[in-house]
Amino acid sequence: MSFSEIVQITWLSVIVSGSATILALLFGLPAATFLYFKNFPGKRLVVTLINTGMGLPPVVVGLFVALLLWRNGPFGFLQIMYTPVAMVIAQFIIALPVIAGLSLTAFEQVDPEFLLQARALGASSWQTILVLFHQSRMGQLAGIIAAFGGVISEVGAVMMVGGNLKGYTRVLTTAIVQETRMGNFSSAVYLGLILLALSFAINWFLTSLQQKGANRWRGPRWK
Amino acid sequence: MEGPALEVKNLKYSINRRLIVEVDYFDLKKGECLVLFGPNGAGKSTFLRLISWLEPFDSREIYYRGKRVTEKEAPELRKKIVYLLQKPVFFRGTVRHNLLLGLKFRKLDRKEQERRLEKIATVFQIEPLLHRYPEELSGGERQRVHLARAFIIEPEFLFLDEPFNGLDVQYREQLLADFYRIRKFSGVTTILVTHVRQEAAYLADRLAVMVNGRIVQMGTPEEISACPETPEVSRLMGHEILVEGQVVSVENGLLEIEAHGQKIYAFGQQQTGGKVVLTFRPEEVILASEKPATSVRNWFLAEVKELRPLDLMVLVNLECGFRFRAFISRNSAEELKLQPGKRIWAGVKASALSPDQGRN
Repeated sequence: MSFSEIVQITWLSVIVSGSATILALLFGLPAATFLYFKNFPGKRLVVTLINTGMGLPPVVVGLFVALLLWRNGPFGFLQIMYTPVAMVIAQFIIALPVIAGLSLTAFEQVDPEFLLQARALGASSWQTILVLFHQSRMGQLAGIIAAFGGVISEVGAVMMVGGNLKGYTRVLTTAIVQETRMGNFSSAVYLGLILLALSFAINWFLTSLQQKGANRWRGPRWK
Repeated sequence: MEGPALEVKNLKYSINRRLIVEVDYFDLKKGECLVLFGPNGAGKSTFLRLISWLEPFDSREIYYRGKRVTEKEAPELRKKIVYLLQKPVFFRGTVRHNLLLGLKFRKLDRKEQERRLEKIATVFQIEPLLHRYPEELSGGERQRVHLARAFIIEPEFLFLDEPFNGLDVQYREQLLADFYRIRKFSGVTTILVTHVRQEAAYLADRLAVMVNGRIVQMGTPEEISACPETPEVSRLMGHEILVEGQVVSVENGLLEIEAHGQKIYAFGQQQTGGKVVLTFRPEEVILASEKPATSVRNWFLAEVKELRPLDLMVLVNLECGFRFRAFISRNSAEELKLQPGKRIWAGVKASALSPDQGRN
């Protein structure tokens, strides 16, 4: 396997999983905010569905997206089956409940008195939401870390909707499966190490962001 | 004469169909410090949240400078009010960040923010704390910063929920004095909630007594102390129940009351034959070793039962057919050579006794 091929595969992994995570954040955070502030009949059902969705098997998601995008499926006319776009959609569906669910949990851990005090100091509704985001930042980042970690390491969904096409939809996980099947263990191990290093680098970045928000005061110190 | 700055009429609030707060009328004059006083659980905090428009409600009419505030204008009014919760909650970041947050909500420009920060830090003596984190501060310092972040906004109305609660005595006195001075100087219209009588008496221009979700009496502390309208108010104001008796005659508002074979005089509106509960404040009872010739109408020969020292004062429990208490200085107690079993004259002016409607 050539160096440029490895770079291309790695790059595609980052782009696909990164955009899926960002999209999930763009939809998941407002959804969690809505669920936090509004009470409506059936809210418990929605939250339960989201929590269940956090454990969605990627293969099932892949199957579901494949059925939709298949040439004869309802969205077949889009002709995006076996493209990176289809992979982003599948990973977005996997990441969305993780981000929405963990964000909601993070919101619920914020003492409601914070929001009341913010409003009592003159915050508008938008400013109150910003205070909520700021107070629950640690939990939000935990959600992003979990979601990105989940999608960059999954193989079932990208395999089904991407098809592992060389130079087009092949990502690190599908490439590892391919190389192992072909008996190229050394390539597979290299790719595995790259995946681990990539995961580590991105989590290092996110964790630094998270810890920057941590309080300087560390509480009681252990002797 | 200027009308009230804020008026509240027909306010009702209930949870699960249980009425929590019901206030027919409440007003707040410009620049005054009104103390909302009452026992724990009377609904004082809830009332503050309701008039700051922070809680949904059943019904209420709020008037700002005589004009009814509609639901649409509520955010406008809310910007004029700063309400501090009892528990000082701080947001992520330094003391400085916390102080500036209210100004950021109001989108003040940076220069003005800095100017106010500098001013408020000096006034509250918190310059050394600005770059520290709220978690590192002592309880007293936190409370000081908590107050400062309300004053920095320079609001028209300031609603404070027990801001001196849970502080140790020394720090509390200091902060109380500082608060009194700063508030007077800024002239901000204030409602302060407390259940501590001394605090209420010290800070209040006017007092509103709240019991069981209702405001039972409003007036200056002197007025309320002199004529509490219900036994509950009189107890809250530090009056103690002396005795229950029957009015035997009325002359120019002076009631002659018979109780346990003693004649007691007090001012009130009761009729002859009516039952009354007499209340008094131990601070207003005079002790003497011989019955002196004074204008004081009520003198009882009593036996000292117990002496209980409290700070610089002594609480003397007496018995003269009914229980009676006097709150006198330690020096007086020593000069009178008080000890259990000693007989002594206890006097209280007719005007210092409040007759409340007795249970008929």
